Amino acid sequence: MSRNDNQERRGRPPEPVSVEVLAPGHTFATVTDKISSIVLTRRTPLYWLVGLGFALLLVMVLLTAITYLMGMGVGIYGVKIPVGWGFDIVNFVWWIGIGHAGTLISAILLLLRQQWRTSINRFAEAMTLFAVACAGMFPLLHMGRPWLFYWLLPYPNSMQVWPQFRSPLVWDVFAVSTYGTVSLIFWYVGLMPDVATLRDKAQSKTAKVIYGIMALGWRGSSRHWHRYETAYLLLAGLATPLVVSVHTVVSFDFTIGLPAGWHTTIFPPYFVAGAIYSGFAMVLTLAIPIRAFYGLEDFITHKHLENSAKILLATGLIVTYGYAMEAFMAWYSGDKFEWYMTSWRATGGYRLQYWLLILCNVVSVQFLWFKRLRRNVPFLFVISFIINLGMWMERYVIVVTSLSRDFVPSAWRPYSATIWDYATLIGTIGFFFVCFFLFLRLLPMIAIFEMRELVAKAEGGKR
Amino acid sequence: MNDETQVIPVDLDRLQSRALLVGIAGLAACAIAAVSNHQQFLRSYLAGFLFWLAIAVGCLALLMLYHLVGGSWGFVIQRILEAGSRTLPLLALLLVPILFGLRVLYIWARPEDVAANTILQHKNIYLNIPFFLARMVLYFGLWVALAMLYNRWSRQHDGSGDGSWIDRAERLAAPGLIIYAVTISFAAVDLIMSLEPVWFSTAFGLMVICGQGVATFSFVIIMLSLASGRKPLAGFVTEQHFHDLGNLLLAFVMLWTYIAFAQFLIIWAGNLPDEISWYVTRLSGGWRIWALALLIFHFVVPFFLLLMRDIKKKAPRIVGVAGLLLVAHWAEMVWLVEPSFPPDRFHIHWMDVAAPIGIGGIWISLFVSQLKKRALLPLRHPKLAGVWEPAEET
Repeated sequence: MSRNDNQERRGRPPEPVSVEVLAPGHTFATVTDKISSIVLTRRTPLYWLVGLGFALLLVMVLLTAITYLMGMGVGIYGVKIPVGWGFDIVNFVWWIGIGHAGTLISAILLLLRQQWRTSINRFAEAMTLFAVACAGMFPLLHMGRPWLFYWLLPYPNSMQVWPQFRSPLVWDVFAVSTYGTVSLIFWYVGLMPDVATLRDKAQSKTAKVIYGIMALGWRGSSRHWHRYETAYLLLAGLATPLVVSVHTVVSFDFTIGLPAGWHTTIFPPYFVAGAIYSGFAMVLTLAIPIRAFYGLEDFITHKHLENSAKILLATGLIVTYGYAMEAFMAWYSGDKFEWYMTSWRATGGYRLQYWLLILCNVVSVQFLWFKRLRRNVPFLFVISFIINLGMWMERYVIVVTSLSRDFVPSAWRPYSATIWDYATLIGTIGFFFVCFFLFLRLLPMIAIFEMRELVAKAEGGKR
Repeated sequence: MNDETQVIPVDLDRLQSRALLVGIAGLAACAIAAVSNHQQFLRSYLAGFLFWLAIAVGCLALLMLYHLVGGSWGFVIQRILEAGSRTLPLLALLLVPILFGLRVLYIWARPEDVAANTILQHKNIYLNIPFFLARMVLYFGLWVALAMLYNRWSRQHDGSGDGSWIDRAERLAAPGLIIYAVTISFAAVDLIMSLEPVWFSTAFGLMVICGQGVATFSFVIIMLSLASGRKPLAGFVTEQHFHDLGNLLLAFVMLWTYIAFAQFLIIWAGNLPDEISWYVTRLSGGWRIWALALLIFHFVVPFFLLLMRDIKKKAPRIVGVAGLLLVAHWAEMVWLVEPSFPPDRFHIHWMDVAAPIGIGGIWISLFVSQLKKRALLPLRHPKLAGVWEPAEET
């Protein structure tokens, strides 16, 4: 394979494939058949239909909530001054954080020559795209008049409206849309050789035509592969800074403001770490059921799960460092507002959410120090769920507590979400899963040709 | 595999003795000047101390990072990192002049100033001389202990070839790195941030950690190139090792810039008196040019140079970039320390240069003597199985 050649040209022998990232006994044909059959030949499984149906029901909830929002305005949400950012921003940050694992796996792990990225990159990238789509909905809905969203863009117009470029909210528009675009291109470029495989193997005429169009004329010539490898590597390089930039800009949404608990310099790195944390948690939440339902234990092995767990532990510890440093500096600063906010979070009206976040994000992840637990699949599934919850709580605590108690006690108001807040959140979860179920059914969820490369390397290693 | 372009012939023995001479001369000059200008000596000395501390502790941290994640980049520099970590007791010794000058350097250590300032009274529970001394003992105790363990295990592995010593090193790596991150963050608060005790920034510890990564990788690249003419490194070190190290250096350059810029942007946008005052002094007058030079030579120039594969692969070129970054790192230490002191305008003293050179001479002399004590590669490591016979050890 050409990436292999590339490495040899650089004077590096191809790394032998550890048996742990691919079960032994696979050939080019078995790998191709096993992955493509899920799309092309196997019967649509019942649990897929049930899952899709349930997710569609949740989408109905989302549509209802949006329709009601259009009619009534943002007053249906719990946001009331001073808490002008409620669930919408919490959910936005949560979803966009989840969307970080895909690009990290695809781009950074590719550049770091990590073999274990191969079988999880495709669906992690898909997960990223759908999560970004969910995230993007919230700021739009939160505007109250989503049809005017284009006012955020700098374009010449007769209204004398121009975005305020000193506002991080405007940076967000660019950061998120760039991220969404590059992730989509990256995903699609990586998909092309596999879509061509599906085109060649498809039995039905319609499938042939659709996959044929999507493959953009891919024939697998060596020139195609050469261009492909170059493009993919360049895209990986381009996508890498985006992994950091998006959540950095999201953290600026808070830090550029002044409320106690928001304005702190550690937010950018610790938001990025938190995003990767939640992203990998979601990867595990999805990968564990998928490998069980579709019998993909040969491809998504214990090694993948264990490495993901290690990344969870590492990023979880960085997040913990962030919490600790924030608390210490709140005291050290001698700023009474900072210190009040820190102690109030732990003891005030939102202490339940606060301690839940500590329990989920700081305490629970410590179990992953133990190799036995990192290899315990049901345990990993549970812990990934807990971390997803914890990261949502973190954003809730950050957004709500700082706003509901700012500098003037007479302006203090508590916040509570309404049923429409919850409906929108649950609805986007449904939307995410609808997209994901369709992806599982219609596209190869594991990169077929990259798995074939692994097979080739594994055989090379044996010789 | 031998690649002649990687070798910069240097006589390590001569380097050792000359460095010692330069070190003694530099420190002696500073000591004489210290009689008349005690405060200036201490602040120059602090900046120089921080510079070399970054490399010594950085060696320990990279050693643990290597044992945690592995990789051939760390294999070739393992002995350099170990020798660097063995210099930590010297740094504990070099800290003593600072400890005797706490009242001169730190406003919180002067009771009359504390009595006049409510914020200092608030911080007095943390920023007071006994607790400060206790923390320093704790930090250096932990660092020296970690360094001793790693060096002992490595020596035992050299002796017996028993892989269980490597396992131990790998098991301690993650907890060791946590200890490093926490202690360095607080040491940064104690030694640097508390020079201006009103100022605070939660990202400061991370910025210092990333700066240490830049300094240590730069130093290691230079040392690897100097030592690569010797056996057993000669013939083993290839372009690819320099390429990998150059990439890691690039990564740390970017991380440092990222944290430093994010910290600046947030404080600039907030524009709160307690926070912005730190930058106001550091960004006015000559310090503004100094800061601009930091931006250019700690980021822009090395960033673009390190993007180029040809530069990373050829030892003389990457050594040049690494040298530039070490100078930039020194400039950063001066920029962090000096503006905390009067006069408010730009000022630089000859001791700002002499003190780091003096400390560095002694440090490098010790480092080289430590480096020479052991084979430059862990010869019994499974990676080298069959490549060298133990008899070939020199």
